[in-house]
Amino acid sequence: MLMSNENLSSAAIFQAVDVTKNYGGVKALRGVTLDIRPGEILGLCGENGSGKSTFLKIISGQIQPSSGALSLDGEAVIFKNPNDALKNGISAVTQERTLAPDLTVAENIYLSHLKPKSFFGIKWRDTHKQSEDILKKIGCELNTNSLVRDILPGQAQMVEIARAIIGKTRILILDEPTSSLTSYEVDKLFVALRNLAEEGVSIIFISHRLEEIYAICDRLAVLRDGNLVSAGMISEYSEKKLIHDMIGRDPSTLAKNENILGDDALLHVKNFSLVNKFEDVNISLNKGEILGLIGLVGAGHSELLESIFGLHNQRKGSLHIDGVDVRVRNPRDAMRSKIAFVPADRKNQGLVLGMSILENAMMASMSAKHRLARPRSKKTDQQVKTYSKDFNIVCSSIEAPVSSLSGGNQQKVLLTKWLSTDPSILLLDEPTRGVDVGAKSEIYRILLDQRDRGLSIIVSSSEIPELLTLCDRIVVMFRGKVVANLNRSIADESRIVQYAMGQLDEEVA
Amino acid sequence: MFGNLVKQRFFVILVLLVAMIFFFTFTQERFLTINNFTVILTSSSILWVASMGLTFVMIAGGFDLSVGSLLALSGIALGYFSNQLNLNLALAIFLTIAFGAIVGGLVNGFTIGKLGLSFLVVTLGSSTLFIGLTQFWSGTKTNAIKNANLQNLAYEKLFFIPNQVVVMILVYLILLYVQKYTLFGRDIYAIGGNVEAAKLSGINTSRILVMVYALAAGFAALAGVIQDARIGAASPQVGQNLIFTATAAVLLGGTSFSGGLGGVSGTVVGVLFLGVLQNGLSVAGVADYWQSIVTGIILIGAIALDLLQQKRRSSSARGTSE
Repeated sequence: MLMSNENLSSAAIFQAVDVTKNYGGVKALRGVTLDIRPGEILGLCGENGSGKSTFLKIISGQIQPSSGALSLDGEAVIFKNPNDALKNGISAVTQERTLAPDLTVAENIYLSHLKPKSFFGIKWRDTHKQSEDILKKIGCELNTNSLVRDILPGQAQMVEIARAIIGKTRILILDEPTSSLTSYEVDKLFVALRNLAEEGVSIIFISHRLEEIYAICDRLAVLRDGNLVSAGMISEYSEKKLIHDMIGRDPSTLAKNENILGDDALLHVKNFSLVNKFEDVNISLNKGEILGLIGLVGAGHSELLESIFGLHNQRKGSLHIDGVDVRVRNPRDAMRSKIAFVPADRKNQGLVLGMSILENAMMASMSAKHRLARPRSKKTDQQVKTYSKDFNIVCSSIEAPVSSLSGGNQQKVLLTKWLSTDPSILLLDEPTRGVDVGAKSEIYRILLDQRDRGLSIIVSSSEIPELLTLCDRIVVMFRGKVVANLNRSIADESRIVQYAMGQLDEEVA
Repeated sequence: MFGNLVKQRFFVILVLLVAMIFFFTFTQERFLTINNFTVILTSSSILWVASMGLTFVMIAGGFDLSVGSLLALSGIALGYFSNQLNLNLALAIFLTIAFGAIVGGLVNGFTIGKLGLSFLVVTLGSSTLFIGLTQFWSGTKTNAIKNANLQNLAYEKLFFIPNQVVVMILVYLILLYVQKYTLFGRDIYAIGGNVEAAKLSGINTSRILVMVYALAAGFAALAGVIQDARIGAASPQVGQNLIFTATAAVLLGGTSFSGGLGGVSGTVVGVLFLGVLQNGLSVAGVADYWQSIVTGIILIGAIALDLLQQKRRSSSARGTSE
C-alpha cells in the first residue's frame, strides 16, 4: 500500500502494521498502519466511533488486535495485557479515573510501581520527595500528603499523568487529558509535555479541541470509520482539511442563526448552573417538539438533562412548565410535573434486570400508587401487551425477565415504562446506545410518532446523525455553556462538530 | 406446578429436606410421628418468625445483625408491659410488637434508609446497643411473667393445631401475600435488584427501606413474645445465636446477600431443613456438635452451588445481549 510506506519511517520506535479489530461483525479498525517516532507529539483525531479508542487500547495492551502486527524498536511485540505494554515503556492515561480517593497523592503516584524501600520497609520520605519532583516536572505544585479525595479534578488529572511517567516511559498516551483542566493548567501541562518530548518521550495526544491540537502536536493522524484517512505534519493540515478528513465532507459555511425560542414554550430552563458541569444555561422546549442536546465528553449536556429530572440537588436556577415555576428536587417531583427520563445507562440506572418485562414496564407508573396496592391487574397486563405489540418487543412473554432481552428490546421496555406514565415531557439520554440498527430505527419511529401526538422530547446524544434524524432543533454545548441553538433547517454535521469543539462561538439568545 | 417448583432457587435444599425426612424415617422409628413433627414445628417457631423479617431485609439488599438482640429487648419489654404496667395480655403483646417495630425503624431504618449509613455498621452497633439496653432494663435477671395466660397461649391448640404453628402459618401467608401481591413487596425486589433504577422510577427508596427494617424488627419482637410465652419468663439471655441460624435459614432458602432474589417460601424450606436436621440427629442420639458441622457444610455447599448457577446464568445472558 502506498499510504503505509508514507506512514512508516525508519526512525520509528513503534510501529503498528495493518492492525484490524473486529467486535463480532463490527469492524472497529480496518487495517491501520501507523508509526510513532521518538520525541514527537502525535495528535490522534477522529469523531466518536472512528476507532481512536480501539487503536489506543491495542497499543496499550488492553485488547488484542484481530490481525496485524506491532513492533517496538523493529522487533515484533505482543501485548497480552496492559502490564506487558507498561514493561515496554508504554503507559496510558485514559478518560477513566483510576486513583484511590483515600490514599495520599504520593501513594497514588506509586500505586503500581515499587516504592523506594530499605531493609526497614518503605522509605516514605523518599517516596514523597520523588513524587513531588515528578509533579514539579509536569508543572504541578501539590502537597503529596493530601488525600486524592481532597484535591481538585484538574490536580487529580496531573496525578494520573505523574503516575504514567514515573517509570521508564517511552510512549505516553493521553486520552482527553484536558477535559477537566482549566486553561491555565492546560498551558502548564503543554509546557511539561514539550519538555518530556525533548527528553525523547513520544506522546500520543487525543483531544476534541482543535485549538489544543494545533497548540501542541507535531504530527497528526486522522481516523474515520476505522480507517486511517490521513497522516502528516501539522503544517500540512489547515483546519478545513482536518475537519474534512474527520467527517468526510467540507465544513459548511456559516449561515445566520435563526432565533427560535418560542414564546409559548412548554418548558423553560432558566439560569441552570451546576458547579463544574454547566453554567447559566437557558433553554426552552416547545410543545410537540424534539430538541437535541449535544456536546463532547464533559460539555455538561448529560448532567443538564439529569438536572431537569431532579437528579443533581445542588443545581441552581429555576424550571418553568407552562409558565409555572416548579420545584424539582428529586425524580418524584419531576414525575409529578409529568416529566419522564430514560437514562443513558440501561443496566445500572434503567432496568432491574432480574425482574420481569411487565414489572419493569409498570415500575414508574405504579410509583405514585399506595404501596399496599396490587402491583398488577388485567388492565396493566393489557397495557404492557399493547405497548409490546406496538413497539415490536421481541420476547417469549411479558413475564420473562428483562435480562433475557436484547439491548434494543430492553430499550423499548424502558420507553414503555416511561410512556405509560403519560408524560408531557420526555427526556432521553443516549436513547440508542448499544442498540442494533433495526431497533434503532424502530425507536426513532416511536419517538417521532410520540412527537406528532404532542409529546415534547429532549434527546441528549453523542451521535450527530441521530440528532439530525430526530430533532426539530439542536442545542450544542461546549464546556458547560450553550454555544449554539440551531434550527434543523440550518443544522448539519460539520457545523455541529465545529460548535461542539469550541471552534465557533455565537451569542445565543 | 411441579415444573415451577424446579425453577425455584430453594429447589435443591427442598430435595435435600425430603431426602433427609426419608432417611430419618427409615433409620429412626421414633422420627415419623405426628407428635415428633409437632415438636419440629413448634421448636422452630422463633427462628421461623425472625427469619421471615430478615428475608425481606436481605431481598432489599441489606442485612440486620440486630434481630437476636431486639428479640431479647422486646421480650423484656413484654415483661414490663405485663408485670409492671399490669396491662391486659393482648394489649401488652400488641405494644411489644409496636415497640420493636418503632425501635428498629428508628435506629436501623432511619439511619440506613434515610441517612444512607452502611447497614453492617449500623446493625452491628444497634445489636450491641440493644444487648446493653436489655441488660439494663432487666437488671440482668430473668423475671417470670406473672400472667399465666401467656404460657398457656404458647401451648394451647386451635382445632388440634398448636397456637405456635397457627402463628407461623399466618406470618408466612401474610408475608407471602405482601411479597407477591403488593407494590411494597415488589419495591423490595426492585431496590435489592437495582436501587438506582428504583429511585429513578420514582420509588421512595428511603421510605421503603425504613419500613423494611421496621418490619424485620417487628417480627423479631413477635419472636420475642413467643420466646417469653414458651418459657413463661422474660430473660435477657435469649436470642444470642439467633442471627447465625436465621441467616443460615434465609441463605439456604435461596435469598442472597446481593439482594433482589429469593423469598419467604424459600425461608420456610430453610427453617424446616434446619429443624428436621436438628431433630433427626437428636432422635438418633448424635452429639449436638454434628448439627453445626453438617449445617455449616451444607450452607457453604449450597451457596457455592448458587454462585455456579449465577455465573452460568450471567454468561448465557451476556451471550444473548451481545
